[in-house]
Amino acid sequence: MFLFKQFIFAYISTIGFSILFNMPKNAILKSGFNGALGWLIYQSFNINLSSSPIIAVFWSSISVSIIGEFFAMKYKKPATVFIIPGIVPLVPGAGMYYTMLAITERRFIDAANLGNETLFIAASISIGIIISSSISKIFRNRNKKTAK
Amino acid sequence: MNEKDEIKKLLVIAIYAGKIMLRNGGETYRVEDTILRICKSRTIQFAECFVTPTGIFLSMEYQSEVLTYIKRINNRTINLNKIDLINNFSRKFVNKDISLDTALDILDNIDNEKEYSSRLRFFFGGLAGGFFSIMFGGNLLDLIAAFFTSAIVVSTTDYLARKKATFFLSNFIGSIVAAILAMLFSLSGFDFNIDKIIIGSIMPLVPGVAITNAVRDSISGELLSGVSRSLEAIIIAMSIAIGVWIILRLHLLILGGIY
Repeated sequence: MFLFKQFIFAYISTIGFSILFNMPKNAILKSGFNGALGWLIYQSFNINLSSSPIIAVFWSSISVSIIGEFFAMKYKKPATVFIIPGIVPLVPGAGMYYTMLAITERRFIDAANLGNETLFIAASISIGIIISSSISKIFRNRNKKTAK
Repeated sequence: MNEKDEIKKLLVIAIYAGKIMLRNGGETYRVEDTILRICKSRTIQFAECFVTPTGIFLSMEYQSEVLTYIKRINNRTINLNKIDLINNFSRKFVNKDISLDTALDILDNIDNEKEYSSRLRFFFGGLAGGFFSIMFGGNLLDLIAAFFTSAIVVSTTDYLARKKATFFLSNFIGSIVAAILAMLFSLSGFDFNIDKIIIGSIMPLVPGVAITNAVRDSISGELLSGVSRSLEAIIIAMSIAIGVWIILRLHLLILGGIY
C-alpha cells in the first residue's frame, strides 16, 4: 500500500515537472509513468534490501533510461524528452540544497558527507543513463543492418 | 544564386538549429551531432564544431576557403518541446525534404513556439512541489501548503525570467518567497512541517537535473561543458540555500527557539 501511494505521488509530481519543462503534449502521461516506475524501484530497494541510496538510484536510473529509450524508438522522439522528467524524482536536488545549507551554517563535516552523497548519486544516475543509451545504440545499429 | 551563398545559408541554418537546441536544454553531444549532420548533408566535406553551454563555434571548409561562425548563448532553460521539434527538423533536413530557403522560416517558427500558459504552469508547478513534499515524508497538510507555496514560487521565477533577471537573482528571490510562505504556514498553528514544505516548494528551482547532466557530460569526455554546468548547478544551489537561510535566521531571531 505504501508503494502504491508512492507510485501515485511520483506520477503526479513527474507530470507537474513535465509541464514545467514544456513537454510535447502527447508525451506527458508516458513520462509520468516512467518517472513513477523509477521512483517505485528506488523505494522498493530502500525498504526491502535496505541498501545504500546510491545503488537504489543506479538501478532505478537504468530502468528510467531503458524505458525512455524504448519510448523514444516507439514514438520517434529524442530519448531525453522521456529521460529528463523521469529522473527528476531521483535527482539529488534536495541533497545539493542541504549541502549548501550546511556550508552556510558552518557544519562542514555534514557538508562533506552530504556533498559526497549528492555527487555519487548524480554520478550513478548518469552512469545508468550512459550504460543504457550505449546499449540501445548497439541494438539500433543491429536493427539497421538486418533491415538492409 | 551562386553556390557560395548557399553554403553561407547552410552555415546560418546549422548555427540557428544548434542555438535553439542549446538554449532549451539539449545535451552538448546532441547539439554537436545535429550541427555536423546538417552541415554534412549538403556539399561540405570538412566541418568541425565545438559546443560549450555558453557558446557554439563552427567552422567549415568549402573549396579551400574556411568559413567560421561563433554564437554566444546567454540564458538557458529546459524546453523539451523545442528539442523534439528541432530533432524532427534535422531529420527532415538531412533527408533533403526541406529546401534551404524554407528551413530558416521553419526554424523561426520553432524558436517562437509558445510555452504552456502561465495559469497551467502555476497549477502544475504546485502539483510538482506539493507531491514532492509528501514523497519526502510530509503529511496531507504539508501537501496543501507546499502546493500553494511552490505554485507561487514558480510564477515568481517565471515573472523574473521574463524581466531578464540573472539566474542567481531569480533563484535567490524564489527561495526567499518559498521560505517566507513556509514560515507563515508554520506560524498559523496547525501541524505543518516547515522543512518538508520548503523542500517541496524549492524543488522546481533546485539544480538536480543540471548536476546530473554535468556529471554525464564529464563522464562522456565533454570536460569543459561538464565543468561549466556543474559550476552553474553549484551557484544555483548556493543562491537557494542563502535565500532560505536568511529567512530561517530571521524566524529564529524574531521568535527564538528552534525552527
